[in-house]
Amino acid sequence: MAVSWRSWLANEGVKHLCLLIWLSLNVLFFWKTFLLYNQGPEYHYLHQMLGLGLCLSRASASVLNLNCSLILLPMCRTLLAYLRGSQKVPSRRTRRLLDKSRTFHITCGVTICIFSGVHVAAHLVNALNFSVNYNDEFVELNAARYRNEDPRKLLFTTVPGLTGVCMVLVLFLMITASTYAIRVSNYDIFWYTHNLFFVFYMLLMLHVSGGLLKYQTNLDTHPPGCVYLNGSRYRHIHLSEYLSEQFRESFPGGFSKPDELTRNTFVKICMEEPRFQANFPQTWLWISGPLCLYCAERLYRCIRSNKPVTIISVISHPSDVMEIRMVKENFKARPGQYIILHCPSVSALENHPFTLTMCPTETKATFGVHLKIVGDWTERFRDLLLPPSSQDSEILPFIQSRNYPKLYIDGPFGSPFEESLNYEVSLCVAGGIGVTPFASILNTLLDDWKPYKLRRLYFIWVCRDIQSFRWFADLLCVLHNKFWQENRPDYVNIQLYLSQTDGIQIIGEKYQALNSRLFIGRPRWKLLFDEIAKCNRGKSISDLRIFISRSPELLFVNLSPLPCLLHKFLLLGPPRIPLSPQLRDITNLHENSWCFLLWTQFNF
Amino acid sequence: MGQIEWAMWANEQALASGLILITGGIVATAGQFTQWYFGAYSIAAGVFICLLEYPRGKRKKGSTMERCGQKYMTKVVKLFGPFSRNYYVRAILHLGLSVPAGFLLATILGTACLAISSGIYLLAATRGEQWTPIESKPKERPQVGATIKQPPSNPPPRPPAEARKKLSEEEEVATGVSSGPQENPIPVTDEVV
Repeated sequence: MAVSWRSWLANEGVKHLCLLIWLSLNVLFFWKTFLLYNQGPEYHYLHQMLGLGLCLSRASASVLNLNCSLILLPMCRTLLAYLRGSQKVPSRRTRRLLDKSRTFHITCGVTICIFSGVHVAAHLVNALNFSVNYNDEFVELNAARYRNEDPRKLLFTTVPGLTGVCMVLVLFLMITASTYAIRVSNYDIFWYTHNLFFVFYMLLMLHVSGGLLKYQTNLDTHPPGCVYLNGSRYRHIHLSEYLSEQFRESFPGGFSKPDELTRNTFVKICMEEPRFQANFPQTWLWISGPLCLYCAERLYRCIRSNKPVTIISVISHPSDVMEIRMVKENFKARPGQYIILHCPSVSALENHPFTLTMCPTETKATFGVHLKIVGDWTERFRDLLLPPSSQDSEILPFIQSRNYPKLYIDGPFGSPFEESLNYEVSLCVAGGIGVTPFASILNTLLDDWKPYKLRRLYFIWVCRDIQSFRWFADLLCVLHNKFWQENRPDYVNIQLYLSQTDGIQIIGEKYQALNSRLFIGRPRWKLLFDEIAKCNRGKSISDLRIFISRSPELLFVNLSPLPCLLHKFLLLGPPRIPLSPQLRDITNLHENSWCFLLWTQFNF
Repeated sequence: MGQIEWAMWANEQALASGLILITGGIVATAGQFTQWYFGAYSIAAGVFICLLEYPRGKRKKGSTMERCGQKYMTKVVKLFGPFSRNYYVRAILHLGLSVPAGFLLATILGTACLAISSGIYLLAATRGEQWTPIESKPKERPQVGATIKQPPSNPPPRPPAEARKKLSEEEEVATGVSSGPQENPIPVTDEVV
C-alpha cells in the first residue's frame, strides 16, 4: 500500500499540488479582500451604504483579477513548446505539468465564469443600494445622482456599468460556444467567439478605470464614526445625548447609569471632513503582464509564419487521406509536435492544426503532414492541390510545384507525444488518423534509435477500414526489417486491429509482416496489459507510459474501448480490478498510477 | 464557414439564458423587490425555455451528442410538430419571452442573453436549419448464424486466409472446379515473418 501511494505521488502528485496552490491563492485573495471591505476603516462609510454587496463584489473581483491574468499563460504555446524542449525543465514529472496546460486554462475559465456571476449579482444589489441608501452627508461617495434614481440608469450611464454589461454579453457568447458539444461539432464557432477575448480585456481595462468605489484617505484626522465637538452641521443633538444613544445601540441591554459611563468613555473627535479617493485600478497591474506576453508571442508567431513553405510533393492515400511533403528554411521540429496550416486560397481566416508525420532531420529538411479529408476546408484544400481527375489513383506524386497554392505554417507546437522517446517502455495506442504523432516517432526511430531512452515500443493501431493501414504500412515494414537486421526484434511490437469484421482482411500481398500482426476485432486490453507486464518485469513505474491518440470519429462511438475501458480500468480501485499479480507487481497499481493522456486531433 | 450549424449554438445560448432568467427571478422574488411579479414571470419563462431547449436537435452531418436524459423531453417537444421544428417560431418566441423580463434590474441580463440567442436562431432559420429529434435506432442483434458468411468449402488442412480468398476469386472466374485431391494453392515455403 505504501508503494502504491508513492507511485500515485510520482504520477499525480505535482499536478494536484499545483491545483492546491492555485486554489489556496484564490481562497486567500477572496478572504483578504472580503475582510478588508467588511472591516477596514477606510471603507466604513461605503460599507454602511452598500452592505454585504460591496464585500462580495470586491472579493470576487480580486479572484477575477488573478484568474484573468493566469488564464492567458497556458495559451502562450510557443513558450510552452520551448519549455518542453529545453533543458531548463529537467524532470519528466515537471514536463508532464505542461500537458495539463489546456485543463488549467479551462479551470481558470470556469472560475471566471462562476465569479463573474457572483460579481454581477453583487453589483446589481450595489446599484440598488446606491440608489436607495443615497448618502446626503458624504455626497462624493455616491454613484447615484439623487436618491432613488433608477438603478438601471446607473447600470447603463456609468462607464463601469456599461462596460460591465458588454463584458457579460461577450463572456456569455464565449462560454456558450466553449461547451464540449460545440467544440467537437462546430469548432469554427468556438474559435471565432474565443477570439473575442481581446475585446473582453479592453473592456476590462476600461471597466476598472471608472472609479466608482472610493476609499477614505484621511483616517487619522477623521476616524470613521467620530463626532464633531463644536456642534456638527449634521447632527443637531446634544453631545451627551448622542453618546448615550451610541451606547444604547452598542449595548442593547442598557446600563443603569449612562451618564456616569459617558464621562469615562474614549470618544473619537473629528478634526475635519472625510476625504474620498477612488481606488487605483489594480487590475491594470494584474493583466498587463500576461497580456503583453501573449501579444508578444502572437507577434512572434506572425513574423515566423510570414514566409510560405515550398511544397515538394502531394500524395493521395486511400481512405481520404492526403500527404503533403514540404520544406521551409530554418524549420526545426521534434517528433510528436504539430503545426498549424494556413492557406489563404482556401480560406482567409481559418487555420487548422495537423501533427507532423515526418520531422526535418540534420540530413533531410523535408517534413510532412497527413491530412484526413473530413470537412469543407480539407476538401477545398485537396481540390487545389490534387486536381479531381487524379484523385482516384492510388499514389501520384506531383513534381510541378508552381501550380501549388501558397501555404503558411505556424509552429511547431508541443504535445505530450514528444515524451514517448523519453521513457524506457512506451505503449502507444492509436485510433484511425490519430496515428500521425506516432508516425513521426517511428520515422525518427528509423533514422536513429540509439540516442533516445526508449528501449521498447508497443504500437497498437485500431482502424475501421483495412485500407487505412496502407498510410504507414511501408514505414512499419521498413522499421520492422531494420530492427530485425540489427538484432533488436523486440524493440517495436506492432499490433494492428481491424474493428470492422466484414470485408477484406489482409493489408496487401507485400506487407506480410503486418498481415501476420493483424487482429480482427477490438483489442483485449486485459490480455495485452498482462503480456506487457510479463515481458517487462523489474521495471519501475517511472519507466513506463501509455500514449493514446484517437481520431475525431471515435469521439462519439460509445463502444470505442480506447478511452472508456482504460478510463474504467484506471478509476476502479485495486480490489475491484481483476488484475493479475504480475501487473500489480510491475506498476504498483493504484487507480491513477498509469500515466494517462488523451489528445484529440481536429482535422478539417 | 460554410458548414457551421448555428442552431446548436443558439440552443446552448437559450438554455444558458433560461438558467440566468431563473436565477435572476429567484433573486427578485426572494428579495421582494418592487415589481417582484416580473421576477416570478421570469422564473416561469426560464423553466419553460429550459424544458423546450433541453433536447438537442440532430446535426445534418455526423453524430450528435445527446444531453443526459433528453429522450423524454424529445417526445414532448416532438408533439408540437412544426412549432418546435421551425426556428423562426423559436426566434420570435424567445424574443417575446425576453421582453417582460427587461423591466426588472435583476433579470435584465437574462433578457439580453435571450435576445442574442433569438438572433442566432433567426440566423439559423434563414439558412434553412430545422430541429430534428434524435431517435435511438433499434439495436439489431446479429444472429449467430448470419455472421458466418462463407463456411469453408474444403476440408482441413486448409491454406491460410490469403490463399483462401485467392481461391474463392478463382472459383468465381471458373465455375465448376473439381474438388479432387487436396492441392496446395500456393507453394509452401519456410518463410520467416
